Amino acid sequence: MDNKYVIEVKGLTKEYNNLRAVDNLSFEVKKGEILGLLGPNGSGKSTTINCILSLLKFSSGSIKIFGEEMSPDAYDIKRNIGVIFQEVAVFEELTVYENIDYFCGLYIKDKATRKKCIDDAIKLAGLGEFKKFYPKQLSGGLLRRLNIACGIAHKPSLIFLDEPTVAVDPQSRNNILDGIKKLRDEGATICYTTHYMEEAELLCDRIIILDKGKIIAQGSADELKELASIEEKVTVEINNLKPEIIEAVKSAENVDTADYIGNTLVITYKKGQNNFGALIDFMSREGVVYNKIFSERPTLNDVFLELTGKELRD
Amino acid sequence: MTVFKTFLKVLNKLKFVVIMYTVILLVFGVFNMQAGDSTSEFTASRPDILIVNGDKGSVLTENLVRYMEDNCESIDVKNDEEAVDDALFYRDADYVIYIPENYGKNVLDGQNPRIEVKSTQSAGASFAEMLLSRYIKIQNIYADEMRDEDEIINKINLSLESNVKAELTSQLDSGGLSRATLYYNFASYSLLAGAIYVICLILSSFNEEKIKKRITVSSMNYKKHNSILMLSNGVFAVSLWLFYVLLSFIFIGKVMFSFQGLIYIINSFLFAICALTIAFFIGSLVNNKNAVNGIVNVFALGSSFLCGAFVPIEWLPQSIVNAAHVLPAYWYIQNNELTKTIEVFDFNTLKPILVNMGVLVLFCAAFILFSNICARRKRKIA
Amino acid sequence: MFLHNFKYTFKIIFRNKMLVFWTFAFPIVLGTLFKMAFSNIESSEKLNLIDIAVVDNQSFKDNEILKEAFDTLGDEKDSERIFDIVYVSEDKAEELLESEDISGYLLMDGDEPKIVVKQNGINETIFQYVTEEIIQTGNTVNTLAEEEIAAEVAAGNFSPDYKNIYLSALERVQDNEVSLKDVSNKNLSYTMIEFYTLIAMTCLYGGIIGMCAVNNNLPNMGDKGKRTAVTPVSKGKVLISSLLAGYIIQLIGLSILFVYTIFVLKVDYGDNLALIIVLALAGSLAGLSLGIAVAALIKSNENTKTGVLIGITMFCCFLSGMMGITMKYIVDKNMPFLGKINPAAMITDGFYSLYYYDTYDRYFVNVAALLVFSLVMLLLSVRGLRRQKYDSI
Repeated sequence: MDNKYVIEVKGLTKEYNNLRAVDNLSFEVKKGEILGLLGPNGSGKSTTINCILSLLKFSSGSIKIFGEEMSPDAYDIKRNIGVIFQEVAVFEELTVYENIDYFCGLYIKDKATRKKCIDDAIKLAGLGEFKKFYPKQLSGGLLRRLNIACGIAHKPSLIFLDEPTVAVDPQSRNNILDGIKKLRDEGATICYTTHYMEEAELLCDRIIILDKGKIIAQGSADELKELASIEEKVTVEINNLKPEIIEAVKSAENVDTADYIGNTLVITYKKGQNNFGALIDFMSREGVVYNKIFSERPTLNDVFLELTGKELRD
Repeated sequence: MTVFKTFLKVLNKLKFVVIMYTVILLVFGVFNMQAGDSTSEFTASRPDILIVNGDKGSVLTENLVRYMEDNCESIDVKNDEEAVDDALFYRDADYVIYIPENYGKNVLDGQNPRIEVKSTQSAGASFAEMLLSRYIKIQNIYADEMRDEDEIINKINLSLESNVKAELTSQLDSGGLSRATLYYNFASYSLLAGAIYVICLILSSFNEEKIKKRITVSSMNYKKHNSILMLSNGVFAVSLWLFYVLLSFIFIGKVMFSFQGLIYIINSFLFAICALTIAFFIGSLVNNKNAVNGIVNVFALGSSFLCGAFVPIEWLPQSIVNAAHVLPAYWYIQNNELTKTIEVFDFNTLKPILVNMGVLVLFCAAFILFSNICARRKRKIA
Repeated sequence: MFLHNFKYTFKIIFRNKMLVFWTFAFPIVLGTLFKMAFSNIESSEKLNLIDIAVVDNQSFKDNEILKEAFDTLGDEKDSERIFDIVYVSEDKAEELLESEDISGYLLMDGDEPKIVVKQNGINETIFQYVTEEIIQTGNTVNTLAEEEIAAEVAAGNFSPDYKNIYLSALERVQDNEVSLKDVSNKNLSYTMIEFYTLIAMTCLYGGIIGMCAVNNNLPNMGDKGKRTAVTPVSKGKVLISSLLAGYIIQLIGLSILFVYTIFVLKVDYGDNLALIIVLALAGSLAGLSLGIAVAALIKSNENTKTGVLIGITMFCCFLSGMMGITMKYIVDKNMPFLGKINPAAMITDGFYSLYYYDTYDRYFVNVAALLVFSLVMLLLSVRGLRRQKYDSI
């Protein structure tokens, strides 16, 4: 068994009545990494995960987990997988503790081991005070955390998280992200889907950007940013800027775009050096008075939007 | 209009329930129409009997059979013992007579052959037994006396000749009217269950917290929105009623074109409105769809059983009937029962009917009042 | 695992208020309603005392036979009497009839008896018939006596003992023994059917439990099912342990209902306990498999499925006599095939045959039909249940 790859997907294709949701997709997940699957809604992230988990039939391709072919009754593989689905899937009739115990019990027979696992999961998700609560009594963030606790209590070595932070307040989100990192530190491999770029940037070792069922880019966050055609973005706050000055900025060296909206001038630069200094020189030469000026590197969000386009999804 | 359209869309989702209660009423109506007298048994004047004749061909036996058949309704079932037993159990037959083999011959021989019978012990069965015993007594007397079969038959028939004049004072088409009463009594179940269930579910859809908030923040006046919603429910309840009235014309026919028919229609209209207000009341109390389901079933079945929609009211224990006064269905059904017996329409005969209708109107008012109080309470808390 | 899932299915079902209501509380409420509504029916179908009036005019007073006969028939000391009689004037009789205080009245017009009634009912018919009988008996006695006298005269006895002849004629008419034997089954209480339909309803409502078990365990039914599907346990195992738990809960509910109906409502299920239990087991199984089939075959959300299941149950119960016992008979008589595909009818008819019949053929046909029904339902749903991977979820 080749231990390097935990998941190997080759040529995965899934069609729903003539619609290609996943199109000849191939990628691998290395042991111990956090892989981010990014993409707009409907790009095929969840479908891919459901195919990997053998919940969905797929038209062609092969999927190996831990070096072995995945199938619905590959129980030895399943035992080491934890899944947190997008929807909160818990029993209304069971308390927080009972819910975790129920799902964990489908993996771990031994009661003592199970109890320890559940306690760890509760601690990880920060649900200690809510053990006896019913799901109905929990807030959205707590429910999400319960959802996660149910998925990882059995200490799986491979964890799928399908947008676990949708509609969650910042406190809960931090708790969840910290938890995921901790799981990784304990040795788990994680496959994480989201459409929050900051999360992916913060969390993932490697990111795959999907659109229309195809991989359009992959690499680490920094590598992806390299892909962007822009190098630097400078924002200047100026009152009453004259049009001829804007034109002058536009024609300056390395400038890609320059837009003056309200009292904010946003200039993007292609590759090149000392663009910021050149701009400041230019402005003091022209006697332009500005309130604030700052330069930033393009974010993953910019890359994402550039790659996937800005039209609305869904 | 938007509100009404949405209403129709939600209603469309619930059509299954409406269809079910209507089908139940329909099936009831069809069977009721076909079965004719047998379901309206409590007004039948003659018992239903079944004669299993093991002595075919004997003239004397034939005479007995003819006599029983002339004075009773002879029913027809499949020719096996199980069918006969079923008929007796379900009161299709009140009384079964088994005439043994060679019965006629044995009677002529001066014996007194035994006849086996099965009886439901009902009034009809008692009457059938009176008829049978009487015939046999007379037959025995003459069979003792003479030997000639024809002469015996003659004598028996002569002795049994009716010589009492009977006068019937009521001129009502009691068959048609009982059918109409049965139909409208049963319709109270379909109306109650169908209307309350559907309206409560629609109300709870509109009252769901998120949707309610959205409606409250919309530019439409909250009160206006509410009144349109109520109106839509009213339109639904009235359509349901209209549909059931149309069905009654199909099932019952000419009785419905009489003055009594008009009373049935007005009465059921009032009851439909009453069902509507009950639905508002329950809708204002409960929002949970599952709870609505339970409450509707208990309420509709309970009121139908206790007020005589399923079981004729004269068969209910007095204590139940007394308790049923608190339910609107009781007054509605009372009116149907009264309508059945009215011959002359004047103020005196119509008065009790009008009083019952008045009670129904009061019920409507009370339920509207209650639901307003509940709604106001709820809004304050929220 | 099997026990773990079994235990939790118990918890989940018992904490679901809706399930507990439909499968435990509702049948008991309904049974109580039945009891309240039907407790009087069977005694009221019996022959009750008939209120009549006799117009107390001169013609009636002159008619010895009628006068004496009605005296006997309305004798208040006789508990077997048929009539409650008031002797009044014609006007008063009319008034009583109009207000329905009496079923009818007898008016003697000279020698002509006349019965006046308001409507045609069994009481009116009996009244008329009994009056006829009195007069006919009189005639028969006369005929017999006259024949006897004629015979005596023919034999040369010109001064026969009239009084004795009449008396012996009367004796012959009255003491004539009629040889009837009532061979009807003692268990004739037809309102029992109502309670049998109640059991049938409870069995079928148990389908909701089966439906829940399926919904919770299949990935294409809901998110919880998805979660279960990625665990390292075979779907069959989870499903079977959930269904078994559901079945046992159903049986607990049914046992409570049996205890309640037998001891509180005094329902009679016949004497054969073992066969009652077998029927209840088969009925619950039919309900469970109906629920599974609804869950597996109808593509919709849980609420709609519940609605469909309750709808089917109520309709089946309606056809098997819940809202009017005659309905069951009409279906049995005219459309027997309906009774063979309606599980509620099979359960009801099974109890009926245990209660009413001494033979077990019909009972076993019903039990077999229930098992076949369950098998068909399970076969229909098995395709949906066995699928491991889905085209879409």
